[in-house]
Amino acid sequence: MKKTLSILAPLAVVGVVIGFTFAMTAPIDAYQGIFQKTMYVHVPSAWLAYISFAVTLIASIGYLAKKDLRWDRIAASSAEMGVFFTGLALMTGMIWGRPVWGTFWDWGDARLVLTALMFIVYLGYLALRRSIAEPTTRARRSAVFGIVAFVQIPLVHFSVSWWRTLHQQATVLRPETLTGAADAPIDPLMLRALMVNLLAFTLVYATFMVARVWIAKLEDEREERHALENIEIAGAAISAPDFDGGFDD
Amino acid sequence: MSHRWFIIPSVAIILVAIGFFAWGNLNKNLVYYLTPTEAVEKRADFPDGERFKLGGLVVDGSIQEDGQVVRFQISDGQTTIDVVHEGTPPQLFKDGAGAVVEGAWQGDHFESDVLIVRHDEQYRGVDEEGQPYEPPTGS
Repeated sequence: MKKTLSILAPLAVVGVVIGFTFAMTAPIDAYQGIFQKTMYVHVPSAWLAYISFAVTLIASIGYLAKKDLRWDRIAASSAEMGVFFTGLALMTGMIWGRPVWGTFWDWGDARLVLTALMFIVYLGYLALRRSIAEPTTRARRSAVFGIVAFVQIPLVHFSVSWWRTLHQQATVLRPETLTGAADAPIDPLMLRALMVNLLAFTLVYATFMVARVWIAKLEDEREERHALENIEIAGAAISAPDFDGGFDD
Repeated sequence: MSHRWFIIPSVAIILVAIGFFAWGNLNKNLVYYLTPTEAVEKRADFPDGERFKLGGLVVDGSIQEDGQVVRFQISDGQTTIDVVHEGTPPQLFKDGAGAVVEGAWQGDHFESDVLIVRHDEQYRGVDEEGQPYEPPTGS
């Protein structure tokens, strides 16, 4: 783990620096001007959120199939990363929206509202994990949650096509761009900068995942030790104050 | 069993949140805005003062700033509606921009107090002739 991290972490840092350089040297958008630069953070964040939750889905299925806590640790770690990237996408979206749309937020927009819902649901996933002390029960219930919760991701992604929204439609994940056709709705240099940033964000994700899964493993080992030694968990000794003696002061 | 006291409220809160988002808010606004053609068709459903959102493209050359008020026309290529907007429009509000205004019919024109600029999914640099990308125009 340590060795993987010592390679991944510097790669991620270099990736982010290169990504920033590409973003800043890409052509300035003819319509939105400098504000469009937010895209190079916003779009990779949103994609990494999807990827994180997809990894949680796969690892959750993996746990239910193999009953190995390793899968559970991957699912949990990836969900945490997904919540982080969703939060980043929401924040950068608001920062981008204020100057360009003229508003931070709009409750009538399906993409915005469904993304907020996705954020809350996966916070719920993390809350569920903290509420169950027994590792296998926790892993089983979280796995079910991790599988069911994934149904929203296509809903979030296709919301801009299914509903009439303030948020614009997909630029990259559409046939013209994916096939490299001449009428792709994005300048090739901007697309290149976006792809470099996507790669950089993926490296950041991979770094944090390796570190988080490692920490999760240490946590599980500690939990097991505590279970063996039958140590009471912190706070167990706290009981209600006893006022039988009366209030003397 | 103490964790049940946590799970049950959590699940309840999530369900309420889903219900609120899905039925309370999204359904009401399932159509985020009406196009000018739809707005004219449904004129009877929206009497003067009944608020709704109207979206389309700003007609080239129609913008007139008049003190606190901006007058312009919004079009979907088929129908054009005169808009009187009270307030300062966002920076990117210009000829040919996509715009969503919130307000109500007032006789033959639309009076708005919320103006949002919508942009499309196109990202272009300045082209070889030095001409910036022009979004589609509504006129």
